[in-house]
Amino acid sequence: MRQTAGTLNRIWLTILGILALAAGVALLLQSSGQMHVLANTAPSGDRVVTGDLHAVFAASWVVVIMLVVGVIMGVLGLLWVIAQIPRKNTAGAYRLHDDGGEGFTVCEPSVLATAVENQVNTLPGVVTSSALLRGTAKAADLTLKVTVNDRTDVQDLIRRFETSTLPDLSSALEAPLQRSRVQIDISGRTQSTGTVVHSTGTVVQ
Amino acid sequence: MSRHDGRSTRLRHRPSRAVPALIVGILLLAAGVLLVWLTVARLVNGTWPNVLQGPRDWLTSLAWNGSGAWWIGIAAVVIGVILLLCAIVPGGFSALMLNDAGGSREEKAGRVQEQEIVMTRRAVAHLAKAQCRQIDGVGSASATATTKHVHLSVQTPLHDTGDLRSRVTDSVRNRLEATGLNPVPRVTATIRSKG
Repeated sequence: MRQTAGTLNRIWLTILGILALAAGVALLLQSSGQMHVLANTAPSGDRVVTGDLHAVFAASWVVVIMLVVGVIMGVLGLLWVIAQIPRKNTAGAYRLHDDGGEGFTVCEPSVLATAVENQVNTLPGVVTSSALLRGTAKAADLTLKVTVNDRTDVQDLIRRFETSTLPDLSSALEAPLQRSRVQIDISGRTQSTGTVVHSTGTVVQ
Repeated sequence: MSRHDGRSTRLRHRPSRAVPALIVGILLLAAGVLLVWLTVARLVNGTWPNVLQGPRDWLTSLAWNGSGAWWIGIAAVVIGVILLLCAIVPGGFSALMLNDAGGSREEKAGRVQEQEIVMTRRAVAHLAKAQCRQIDGVGSASATATTKHVHLSVQTPLHDTGDLRSRVTDSVRNRLEATGLNPVPRVTATIRSKG
């Protein structure tokens, strides 16, 4: 249902991985003396710091650059951590009709989502459901999470959903849905709404 | 794949690498905070904090072919490879695909353009366990599921387990098939006798 930052994570992990790998390989080549042969850098026996560190770090512009670098690193790190919070990414209000001077009709997607949930909750075996609408009124994008009891006939549930809930939503919006995504979870709990009666007994043949 | 475009993403997805991203993000944040603290202390007091004395001495005594430089290089290579593996290794899907319940293509096109029906791996494991518990001879059962494989651990009070294993696997496979999983994962079971 909620969306995570999978693509962002892969891109940044790849970039940082390549940078770390390249820096490590360069340092190892430099330490072994190969880099001196290839790129004419300092010989591997030299010290890393040849100048006076005190003089370099005494300049105030070095301090300012370090401060800016620190702020950028901190902000990027913080943004990346915040991006890990799963988002709903809901749609804005659906604009159902816009007849210029005669006015227009808008509908919050959450209202339709609640109607979908209420209808799905009455299907046999459904313990609970949660719907989310994205997209636009003419190209709605439904994501539905249905938790069903472990005795439910899932195929029957899908058939009922496809022949009742989807057409109802589509006729309410007066347009076919762009996408419908359904995730089915199983729970040991029993249904809290509807009229499902669990029966146990012996079958006499 | 922006999360502000008001569009849904696939429910059957690969891991989002949140743990390595969180670790690297927190390390970046910590490094940034440390750098800002050091520079602010320098700007306020006029001198660098004393904690930098140790690293500074170490750095001035470091040679390119010293053991310190080698270890830093090796550490950077290892970290780089780990980060790349985290990004490249695809990982398993979070859910299994389900068949939709039929209906003609034209009939569906009037209602929805694109459809995805999935069942989470945990749900498949739960379903397999519930089905297993209905079989005579099963004392307790636990199940684990991947996208291709469902494994059941069954404890039975029976001394002679006989055909219990095949009854369990057949029954669970039939249930998963009837549920509409496509493809149906391979079902295996280990039976342990309590006696």
